[in-house]
Amino acid sequence: MAEIIATTESLEQAQHLLNAGVDWLYAGEDEFGLRLPHSFGRDELPALVELVHQAGKKIMVAVNAIFHNDRIVKVADYLQFLTDLHVDMVSIGDPGAIHVLQTNRFPLPYLYDGADLVTSSRQINFWGRHGAVAAQVAPEVPYGELVPLMQHVDIPVSYLVYGASVIHQSGRPLVDNYFSFVKQHQERSDRQRGLFISAPHKPETHYSIYEDINGTHVFATNDVNLMPALTRVHDLGIQYWKLDGLFVPGQQFAQIAAAFVHARDALAAGTWTADLAADGQHVIADNTPANRATDTGFFDIDPNEVQ
Amino acid sequence: MIKRPEVLAPAGTLEKLQVAIDYGADAVYIGGDAYGLRTRAGNFSFDQMRAGVEYAHARHAKVYVAANIVAHEGNLPGAEEFFQHVQETGVDAVIVSDPALIQTCVLAAPGLAIHLSTQASSCNWETLNFWQDEGLERVVLAREVGIEEIKEMRRHTDIQIEAFIHGAMCIGYSGRCVLSNHMGLRDANRGGCAQNCRWKYDIFDMPQLGQKNDLTSVGPDGKKEAFSMSAVDMAMIDHIPDLIDAGVDSLKIEGRMKTVHYVSTVANVYSAAVDAYMRDPAHYHTDPAWVDDLWKVAQRGMSTGFYYGTPTEQDELFDEGRERPQYRFIGEVQAYDVATQTVTVQQRNNFGIGDPIEFYGPGFTHYAMTLQDLFDEDGNAIDRAPHAMQIVTFHCPHPVRPGDFLRGQRVRRPHQRKAVQHA
Repeated sequence: MAEIIATTESLEQAQHLLNAGVDWLYAGEDEFGLRLPHSFGRDELPALVELVHQAGKKIMVAVNAIFHNDRIVKVADYLQFLTDLHVDMVSIGDPGAIHVLQTNRFPLPYLYDGADLVTSSRQINFWGRHGAVAAQVAPEVPYGELVPLMQHVDIPVSYLVYGASVIHQSGRPLVDNYFSFVKQHQERSDRQRGLFISAPHKPETHYSIYEDINGTHVFATNDVNLMPALTRVHDLGIQYWKLDGLFVPGQQFAQIAAAFVHARDALAAGTWTADLAADGQHVIADNTPANRATDTGFFDIDPNEVQ
Repeated sequence: MIKRPEVLAPAGTLEKLQVAIDYGADAVYIGGDAYGLRTRAGNFSFDQMRAGVEYAHARHAKVYVAANIVAHEGNLPGAEEFFQHVQETGVDAVIVSDPALIQTCVLAAPGLAIHLSTQASSCNWETLNFWQDEGLERVVLAREVGIEEIKEMRRHTDIQIEAFIHGAMCIGYSGRCVLSNHMGLRDANRGGCAQNCRWKYDIFDMPQLGQKNDLTSVGPDGKKEAFSMSAVDMAMIDHIPDLIDAGVDSLKIEGRMKTVHYVSTVANVYSAAVDAYMRDPAHYHTDPAWVDDLWKVAQRGMSTGFYYGTPTEQDELFDEGRERPQYRFIGEVQAYDVATQTVTVQQRNNFGIGDPIEFYGPGFTHYAMTLQDLFDEDGNAIDRAPHAMQIVTFHCPHPVRPGDFLRGQRVRRPHQRKAVQHA
């Protein structure tokens, strides 16, 4: 049965998510992980790990930043900290962090998460041969490619079934640079500021954009929601369903997570129906923030349509 | 002892490969007919690749083949044969970013050197060591890496380091951008980049769907200025010693889709700069003529990217449209008759009597003049050379060499002047 991974923004939300039945919580610190709902410092993370483990669940910590020299030198110490906490898995996207993990022989399983770069079974198997126990497949890999991919991968894969999908990461402070150029003062350009951009002649689009210490991040106009496609996700045998609550706060995200847990269980039990899928869609619609929308992203795109 | 870095130039076609090498490049990078990111560039067949390698090796230059897509399921059948054929052509290395293709290349073409593409966004020395352990010969650094970071890398690794020195830049970490995929179903990591970063966007906050609070503002010129993610181009001509002293092995010029004019000019400038520094580091200075030449082929403003800090708004394109070069490529010298001081030129763009023209050639030679006369192939006097590839002759008091190029300043043609007057 697939295991459900959910990001978390707080201990309170973590408790709700655990109550909802998710199998893994996903958290981390901005200095090492990308696009996190909350940056759990070293003073905060132990309590979260303890909470998760007391519930008999697992925790994955994000170490998937693109590291420059100034931060790669801190990775060994951080991995030691995570080892001491008995974290269950880390996500890594920079081969330099893998090098640190392996040369120091830290006993931490890792999921390879190179964001949009993880697109084929042969690549996933490369990382499997280099110690990865799982890989996060890019959301841009559609169902038509997932079918053969799943037939050839040697390690479990994770796939985004709900949440914001990053489509661009820049090392530049693109928002601040713009407002500096037009001499318009903005107090902040972080995620909480809630900025969007829309493409020329497409006013209906609304790509979230924000800055943090890892640069500027832009997200797909709609968040991914594969509730309508879960039968196929289930049949593919994808081992980890990733739920990203970057833009969905508190209990709202826990409600959505619960809907996916129920769906997963029903699919495993063979009791999944169109009515249950419709109920799940209602839960998601009711709990998706007013300024966001969802669709199935690239999942239903015909691979031949992509040039 | 200072190690001389190679000047690595782009070559979209066999002609550009030859020009780049003639104009001083120590190595060129090209694309094959598959697995490259520049699907719209003139990519090489294996026969052309073989010819390019032969031309390069005869002149002690190297050829690298870019195979830097990020493959999806279904793209990989045939990759083994591709790398085997590439190896058979005698190229010196392939430039790859996808580990799936790296693995394929290692197994299918053992001994073929592999360079890690900038698409992999390598920004630290542990990453470089990871890839060195995998047997890679070189890493092309992310454009986000600074000079001090390169120095630090060099202290921790001896893998070859390649760094961009000139040309257009991705605004994001290369490879970590799928704007094209989501905005136009074109896969940026498989050669489909539509440069959506250079589009003009509205920026706003939005408490509810459809309820936008527009934050787009006006620029210094008082006109509405849309949000954009467009970078000016990179130019490191003023900082060649920094790059060499930091331990960069290969200085890379961007632009496989650029023109012969661009390739010849930029390769000429940077090879002259590197030669000058290697000849006499203590007395090296940037020749203003090098900078002038780069501006003659510039399409945007220029900056040093991340080399000396995080780019500011000055390093982005907001208010200016795409600046077109004020110079254009107008011909190639076929012959020069010293006795009659007559040059024979093959036309590449319309030019004629009264136009200011400039010859330039390998070794950074230049000669400027105003065209006084012009004759067609049969010796008939003509005013202009309007036909593509037309052979013409004219008087040139300064000796020039076959293979030298001509550029002309953009000038209004007579009928255009009339139109302006009538307006």
